[in-house]
Amino acid sequence: MPARTRRTRTIEDRRREFETEALPHLQELFGLALRLTGGDESRSEDLVQDVMLRAWRSWDRFESGTNCRAWLMTILRNGFINSFRRDRSGPVKVEFEEIAEGHGSGSLYESDPEGRVFDQLVNEHVLRAIEELPDEFRVPVVLVDVEGMGYQEVADTMGIPVGTLKSRLFRGRKRLQVRLHRFAVELGYLP
Amino acid sequence: MNDQERPEGIEPDRAPEELSCEESLALVYEFLDGELPAERNEAIRRHVRMCRRCYPHFDFERIFLDYLHEAGSVAQANPDLERRIRSLIAEDDS
Repeated sequence: MPARTRRTRTIEDRRREFETEALPHLQELFGLALRLTGGDESRSEDLVQDVMLRAWRSWDRFESGTNCRAWLMTILRNGFINSFRRDRSGPVKVEFEEIAEGHGSGSLYESDPEGRVFDQLVNEHVLRAIEELPDEFRVPVVLVDVEGMGYQEVADTMGIPVGTLKSRLFRGRKRLQVRLHRFAVELGYLP
Repeated sequence: MNDQERPEGIEPDRAPEELSCEESLALVYEFLDGELPAERNEAIRRHVRMCRRCYPHFDFERIFLDYLHEAGSVAQANPDLERRIRSLIAEDDS
């Protein structure tokens, strides 16, 4: 019997497909939303809910068998970035802040060049450190480091030059190291 | 090679593949992220392999980025969220 075409599927067929293919990615979507919003659970739930509703309404355009996770993640990223860009039409002050970062004396690298402390710090520490980053640094770190996106794609998504993206990524990562170093000292893992 | 063709950060009297420690360290993240052109990538790989100063830096940053990727992916949504989404989809049909 030939497979039903998109046009002849009943609403129940569509819902069953959606529940089988899209809903299993809910946890991953929530994880990405949580990272992007800096740990704001309520905003993350709203974002994921919005993504799922949009995806449902466009379900006829999704080709079954293609990468549903990637499709949903793209809807989420674009939705978040659009609101991020709308909220930040003015100059970004954080670019000019003086912050302690780098491989200087007292850095995480100087204290623990083999990175052993990463085995001791639990996920909660890195999640907290990511949440504490200003948006301008957190978004590139999440998209590149957690999501594994390329520089050009993230720069295009955020509407910034690749050079600016590299600078924010570099500084975001260094800030994370400073914060993780502080956690490790507080917990007695490092002197 | 004229100035326009020369990769940024390479001094005029050195071959492009001979990078200093400072030049290599400045590109550590682009190297580890796989964002460098093949020639520059290879030049850094050669430098780091031979350099006692740079090797531990690169190794540290690699461990850090792996850690970030692993630890940053973990999260658990409230079970109510899935119920709410199912009900929204059901309502959207009507």
